[in-house]
Amino acid sequence: MEAVLPSSPSPKTPRIDGRRLRSERTKQLIIEAFLALVREDPKLPTAVQIAERAGYSVRSIFERFPDLNALRVAATDYGLAQAAALAPARNVDGDRKTRIESQVETRAQTCERGIALWRVLLNSQDESDELKLRVRRARETTIARLELMYKPELSTLGEPERRDMLIALEALVDIESWARMRELHGLPYDEARLVWTYTIDRLLPATPAAKM
Amino acid sequence: MATTVADLPPDAASPSTGKSERIDGRHLRSERTKRLIIEAYLALVRESSPRVPTAAEIADRAGYSVRSVFERFPDLQALRVAATDLAITEAKANYTPRDLDADRATRLRKQVEIRGRGCDQWLPMWRVLNANSAGSSELQDRIRLTRSLVLKRIEMVFQPELSTLSEADRSRTIFAIEALTDFESWARMREFFGLSFDEACAVWVRAIDRLLPPTPDNAS
Repeated sequence: MEAVLPSSPSPKTPRIDGRRLRSERTKQLIIEAFLALVREDPKLPTAVQIAERAGYSVRSIFERFPDLNALRVAATDYGLAQAAALAPARNVDGDRKTRIESQVETRAQTCERGIALWRVLLNSQDESDELKLRVRRARETTIARLELMYKPELSTLGEPERRDMLIALEALVDIESWARMRELHGLPYDEARLVWTYTIDRLLPATPAAKM
Repeated sequence: MATTVADLPPDAASPSTGKSERIDGRHLRSERTKRLIIEAYLALVRESSPRVPTAAEIADRAGYSVRSVFERFPDLQALRVAATDLAITEAKANYTPRDLDADRATRLRKQVEIRGRGCDQWLPMWRVLNANSAGSSELQDRIRLTRSLVLKRIEMVFQPELSTLSEADRSRTIFAIEALTDFESWARMREFFGLSFDEACAVWVRAIDRLLPPTPDNAS
């Protein structure tokens, strides 16, 4: 293999790649600056604020994103991908208690990390079909996770009870439900987790014997 | 647009004879104008939520000038606060808990229907309220007040069942019912899952019934 490689690299390719890499890195830093500002203050940051935080000029932002909506969409994609990567499904084959605790723990962490971006996303979705689509996908992902984690219990229900159960579970573990427990009711992280653990256990039908 | 005699309350249309009546008549007209401006704002919010209506749109809908709006409300934030207060007052009056002594199924069904109707009616206003609450302690206070009213109502309606739980489990159950019956939970059932009013009510009834412990014998 090595013998067929050119002895010296083409002068053109590395320059283009390097430029592209730098541009991608700049894009990434702009997205991270946007997300950092949103976490500090859940309002849409201005282009000037984002540029200042990222250490670039406003012009640099608009060279990489045609408008602030495109930046919001890119930041949302990044935020959702990060959330998915940090929240893999665990203990899918565990007993009921283990599955509930595992799902609640994962969801709680996602909510803690993601509330600021989620609020910005919800407040801006009416300005952009792309953002609306991402809100929908995020909800579908949550529902798919609930279906996976509580498959044994859900399998005992017919329709529409199964659908209704998923709707209720999704409402219960909504990100704003978590935020209210933490911000409005002042619950510590572990107590908020217990609220979900206790109430999901009450909501779910009995586990079939083989999965207890 | 100036207020015409036809717009005035009956008392204000008759000629005044004394200073206090004159003042009262002016006051009444001003209050009526305020009310009409607030109602115009609420109507526009229902049509275009979460977009906030402009002063020109509000004035146009109410049939007054923009100047009239700002003579009565120093800014649009003050108008939002007044509209929220009116909404809370109306919601409290319309959704007073009834049949608190009824059996579990009746209390559950009535609570869910009342809450569902309230969500259908006030969701646009709720969204505008939340979208504009950042930086406004007055609006944040009203959001807190609305939530505390919902919590109190849950406690009142399901008192027999909740009374059988330990303090910790009681709080957990109340928080869960509040989350389940949140405005946006209702909105998702109606907008995202496309459920009818009755189907959405059925989801809540089933879920709350599962969340609640058995009703004590003396209250079932």
